[in-house]
Amino acid sequence: MSNGPSYRLHPVSILFNCIKTAREGIFLIVFGFITFDRFYFILLLAIFSLLGILLSVLSWYRFTYRLEAGELRIEYGVLIRKKRYISINRIQSIDLTAGIIHRMFKLVKLQIETAGSGKSAEASLNAIKLSDGEKLRNALKGRKESHPDIEIEGQEESVNPLREITPKRLLLAGVTSGSVGIIMAFAAIAFSELEQFIPEHFYDRTFDWISELAIAFIIGLAIVVLLVFWLLGIAGTMIKYGKFAITKVGDELFITRGLLEKKQITIPLKRIQAVGIAESVIRQPFGFVTVFVEVAGGALDSGEDFSTVLFPIMKKTEIESFLQEFLPGYSMESVHFTPLPKRAMKFYLIRACVPILVLGIVATYFYPQFSWLAVIVLLVNFLLGLMRYQDGGFSVEPERVIIRFRGFSRKTMLLYHKRIQAFEKKQHPFQKREGLATIKLSILGKNGTGKHYRLKELEEEHVDKLGDWYSYRE
Amino acid sequence: MREPPMNTIAPDAIKAWKLTGVFYEGLLWLITIAVAIIIYLFDWPYWIGIVLVMISILSTIFTVFILPKLRFRKWRYELFEQEIYIQHGILIMSRTLVPMIRVQHVDTKQGPFLKKYQLASVTISTAATTHEIPALREEDASALRDRISALARVDEDDV
Repeated sequence: MSNGPSYRLHPVSILFNCIKTAREGIFLIVFGFITFDRFYFILLLAIFSLLGILLSVLSWYRFTYRLEAGELRIEYGVLIRKKRYISINRIQSIDLTAGIIHRMFKLVKLQIETAGSGKSAEASLNAIKLSDGEKLRNALKGRKESHPDIEIEGQEESVNPLREITPKRLLLAGVTSGSVGIIMAFAAIAFSELEQFIPEHFYDRTFDWISELAIAFIIGLAIVVLLVFWLLGIAGTMIKYGKFAITKVGDELFITRGLLEKKQITIPLKRIQAVGIAESVIRQPFGFVTVFVEVAGGALDSGEDFSTVLFPIMKKTEIESFLQEFLPGYSMESVHFTPLPKRAMKFYLIRACVPILVLGIVATYFYPQFSWLAVIVLLVNFLLGLMRYQDGGFSVEPERVIIRFRGFSRKTMLLYHKRIQAFEKKQHPFQKREGLATIKLSILGKNGTGKHYRLKELEEEHVDKLGDWYSYRE
Repeated sequence: MREPPMNTIAPDAIKAWKLTGVFYEGLLWLITIAVAIIIYLFDWPYWIGIVLVMISILSTIFTVFILPKLRFRKWRYELFEQEIYIQHGILIMSRTLVPMIRVQHVDTKQGPFLKKYQLASVTISTAATTHEIPALREEDASALRDRISALARVDEDDV
């Protein structure tokens, strides 16, 4: 890597610094507004604003970056000067994002992540020109191929698979987004509250028609609120997954998404720990699924999802061709699941129903008028328990294991033997008596923590066989 | 996973755990006595004190006289060249396989109670999980730690 001159960020970065300082100081501003008179407040505000702006300009002035001796060298800090050198070989992924302000000036934010397990990105250039960002990215990736630009360009036109979300599917994803379930729960509570309160308040009124009108009004209002929530859910999904596109270049997956803030995610195939397929209760009947992956490390995408979505919504029948194209090693064709034994069913039903039953009995004792609600919740949980039992299953191949289970959504996880960090068999006395056992498979998760998958009440014999499959002993 | 692991931990573990139990139960009794005094001073209903004393008695019997023996009886471990096999759990019994190539580091540690009986624990960490083998004889613990660390190699294919 040749030595390069050092660069500053785009001056818009000053604006970002100002916004950040203002956001951090908002508490002080409010405090000042309450304590001081108008005159002193304005004076202090002016002084602090000026200081803030000065500091923002200075920190922009001091922040420089350059490529030198195979390292990205960043120097920054106003009072305390800091230098951060990141070896190009250590860089795991480089992501470009563009918010609304960025887009107005044709800028991007470049974030770099190394193999470490920190909470924030290792280095972040918060405003550089789009063209510079792309150039820098190519330079940082240069370690891999000798002529990355040419090769990548060439590939992109011929073989690189690309999938984009269609507007129709995006809308469908919004309509069936998970928030509907939460809304339904709220609706149930809201309506039950209404039922309790309305009669007491309104029956004594002389004019029955007024009360009827009021009830109609409240119910109408509730429906409007629900609708608004639902629309917000749709809008949220559209903003998050709008313009979703995934492509594969060499041994990396690139995802771009976001209607307002454009986000780009890079996933090296090597870092994928598991591939999952989620079928939410609402989408399952229509045959739609979400495909996601578990990626090791990864600070950039944290705080958003625990898993990285590979494609927000697709037909169940399209999974196979999608996996063939993007993750050939994770093909799930002709997987035959071994179901849970019949004896396991009672464990699932007891677990799903007993806590609700206890709660329901207590609730009914204190509020007899709510008993119908308890019955409904109990029924729903019974069904959920039954579905959990029916959906549980696993399939073992020489190198991979596939497990299927349900919390609320049904999930199918595909794990490679070499990705599993530890295997555990658990058994409580009741399971032991029935010859059943639970397995726990651990893989690497985000931020240096593990992710664990449990499948409860398998045939003990099957668990032992799985143990033998996992065991490295000859 | 049909056969349990071979080795038990050091029998002195029972004594060390009993001592630990006595210590924590002592704290519980101090709280109980403090509450009793408050009840006496402020004329609170006596049944609160009686319930507390009952809880303290039961908890002492359980943690000092029953739990250590049960824990000792269930704890097992076995070291293979390729993996570590651990069994533990009183009510919920669990058996864990940790492959050597997944081990990131091994530690031994020793609190004051373990030190009194020349015992130490070995902690085995993978990138996703941690596993502890408690209360081995000091020299066994060091030997086990060194052996595991020698057997654990970094896998080329790893992240």
